Amino acid sequence: MFTDFRIALAIPVALMLAACGEPQPQLSFEESLQQQLIEAEPGDVIDIPAGTHELTRSLSLNVPGVTIRGAGMDSSILSFRNQLQGAEGLLVSADDFTIEDLAIEDTVGDALKINDSDNVTVRRVRTEWTGGPLTTNGAYGIYPVQSSNILIDGSVAIGASDAGIYVGQSTRIIVRNSRAEYNVAGIEIENSTFADVYDNVATNNTGGILVFDLPNLPVQGGRNTRVFNNSIVDNNTANFAPEGNIVATVPAGSGLMVLANDNIEVFGNEFAGNNSANMMVVSYHITGLPIDDENYDPFPESIHVHDNSFSGGGAEPDSEPLALLREATGQAVPDIVWDGTILPGKTAPDVICMRGNGDADFVNLDAPGGFAAPSFEIGPHDCAGEELPEVSISTGP
Amino acid sequence: MIRSVLRVLAPAILSACLLGACAEPRFFEQDNPQRLSDWNLFRDDGSRFIPREQTLVFAPANPLFTDYAGKLRTMWLPAGGQASMRGGELEFPAGSILSKTFYYPTGADGVLLESIDHENELDRQRHRMIETRLLVRRDDGWHAMAYVWNDDQTEAFLRVAGASVPASLQRSSGTEDFVYFVPNENQCAGCHVTVHPDGPLHPLGAVPEQLAAAANPDGAHPSQLQAMRERDWLEAAPVRTAAASWQDSRADLDTRALAYMNIHCGHCHNPDGAADTSALVLDGRHRNPVELGVCKTPVAAGGGAGDLLYSIHPGAPERSILLYRMESSEPDEMMPELGRSLAHEEGIALIHDWIAAMEGDCPEPVRAFGNG
Repeated sequence: MFTDFRIALAIPVALMLAACGEPQPQLSFEESLQQQLIEAEPGDVIDIPAGTHELTRSLSLNVPGVTIRGAGMDSSILSFRNQLQGAEGLLVSADDFTIEDLAIEDTVGDALKINDSDNVTVRRVRTEWTGGPLTTNGAYGIYPVQSSNILIDGSVAIGASDAGIYVGQSTRIIVRNSRAEYNVAGIEIENSTFADVYDNVATNNTGGILVFDLPNLPVQGGRNTRVFNNSIVDNNTANFAPEGNIVATVPAGSGLMVLANDNIEVFGNEFAGNNSANMMVVSYHITGLPIDDENYDPFPESIHVHDNSFSGGGAEPDSEPLALLREATGQAVPDIVWDGTILPGKTAPDVICMRGNGDADFVNLDAPGGFAAPSFEIGPHDCAGEELPEVSISTGP
Repeated sequence: MIRSVLRVLAPAILSACLLGACAEPRFFEQDNPQRLSDWNLFRDDGSRFIPREQTLVFAPANPLFTDYAGKLRTMWLPAGGQASMRGGELEFPAGSILSKTFYYPTGADGVLLESIDHENELDRQRHRMIETRLLVRRDDGWHAMAYVWNDDQTEAFLRVAGASVPASLQRSSGTEDFVYFVPNENQCAGCHVTVHPDGPLHPLGAVPEQLAAAANPDGAHPSQLQAMRERDWLEAAPVRTAAASWQDSRADLDTRALAYMNIHCGHCHNPDGAADTSALVLDGRHRNPVELGVCKTPVAAGGGAGDLLYSIHPGAPERSILLYRMESSEPDEMMPELGRSLAHEEGIALIHDWIAAMEGDCPEPVRAFGNG
């Protein structure tokens, strides 16, 4: 019955197609992938087959509950080396989003930007600029912003001219088992709250891991980040960020830098060979940039550094005051550097508490006094800091 | 099966329409047809592409730049349908269709030229159509889609994922090769959803402030709202002041610059927009200097910062990131991110003059610590 019907229609259909002139245009891989992303339904899995797929325009996804899945970060490759349009490779604004087992390469701007999304999993994803560390590389590799309940696991970020893995203005964040290499900032947690950063490797970046709080943003008051059991080693790549961006001020050879953030616990990490300093705690004032934001707190507080191992580093500081210190003392810059900027009424242990870091040495640079009287006394910071609770996230609908 | 039969039969119904049996535009409640002609918004006399007389050709007071393309816009409301004011906005009835056809005048050898005049119909001998975008009001809200014209200019096809159209434009300053980008449906939402990410998709041109002006200087009506009222498409004509236009040479620099930013930046750079992550509010309504970018350092601009320190450096347009990003046509640097491949010389000149006339200065940063 149905078969007959179909045959009956076949002839007029053929005539009409002929009458209508040229048929509809064929879709390229990139067009059909983008169409799939637009027409997806919650619960859909969109497969990226193995192979290198060339794309010329940004991809985007606005549908919640979608998984994008490749066949492995070294086999399913979305290559944007011939990109003509769009400020990112893949732009996502969708809750309950998972992306896994693929690579995004050589985007003109950010590789994977996830804006305003809840429950986000980025698993075994590689973002890379394949030409090495160049100023012309895109800014961010894996880039969730104004999002929540974020898991970045087993991922790799290479070559970003700002940050490889950058979580901004977000809350409830886990970054783990990931590797950041040859970025300006390896991993950056900015204007965010409740983040656990652990079991990662940050090496060969300009700065390994940054925990920043910046003014004039709709979400600020960065606090409650734990940085633990990471390997933060040899982050000595010359700074290649475009001027004007905050990370352009980060000295090459920075291991971990905490800027103006509060309630940070740093423990169990291996710091080695970061040639400006293995770890720095600084106020926003150190940037020399103006602050036009009365709600902003430029001072770091409650930084708890314990049970880390430090070795090497501080040998070739890329920062004038650190270089002068190196010259004056004839010694490598100490492992842990504090600029010494402090809110009136607060004391040294309100800013940094340190214990159990082996033979790690320390300097208070006396930035408020024009670096005139640096102090190497670790005693004022010998206090039991706060242990922060584990971050729990929900990453499912 | 039934669906596919219907899809197959649609052209048959349409060809009956072309014989004159039904000259009304057609509204599709579901599935967008693959061919623009199925909507029946235009008639084609063999040489000209003409909006049906049931549609109203309109133009917003403060237009958006799109690679020097001309835009022929039509509005159609279904029989008996009326738009009404709800919460200060124009609420269109389900079944309403807005269209915008992007075209270029053509010169010798078919080269594309900058569009200067308002056209109420397009002549294939003198114009080349690139795409026709529709905003269709259904029961569940507005839907956006783009149809791309074929080389023969005989039909435009639905392109959910957009399209890239290589083009060459001749202007007084020279000939420029570029790729004209037809937006994909998510990119439509990139501008037409102004409350990110869950706000409704809505028109930007067919809004009261934009319609409260004449369609063009010699338009029949001083206000297009009045033209809608005459068609009985409006419950009551709201009393509105027309939006300031960046093109209005009688307006002062400040008004023109804010009007320019309102239509070119404000869809994302508003307090609820996709670009609120930057804390730059460029919707033409907020005038707090640091929100406009005065002495504001970039956040996530990357190369878009152009090695400059401040979004706006008063008195120094050449040191202002805002202008740098308007001048750039690199996809990761340029602003707006969507809607253009070419730099907009007139807009750049306006913002240049506006920043140049600003008083004040920004501090030189004192790099105490950094590598700079």
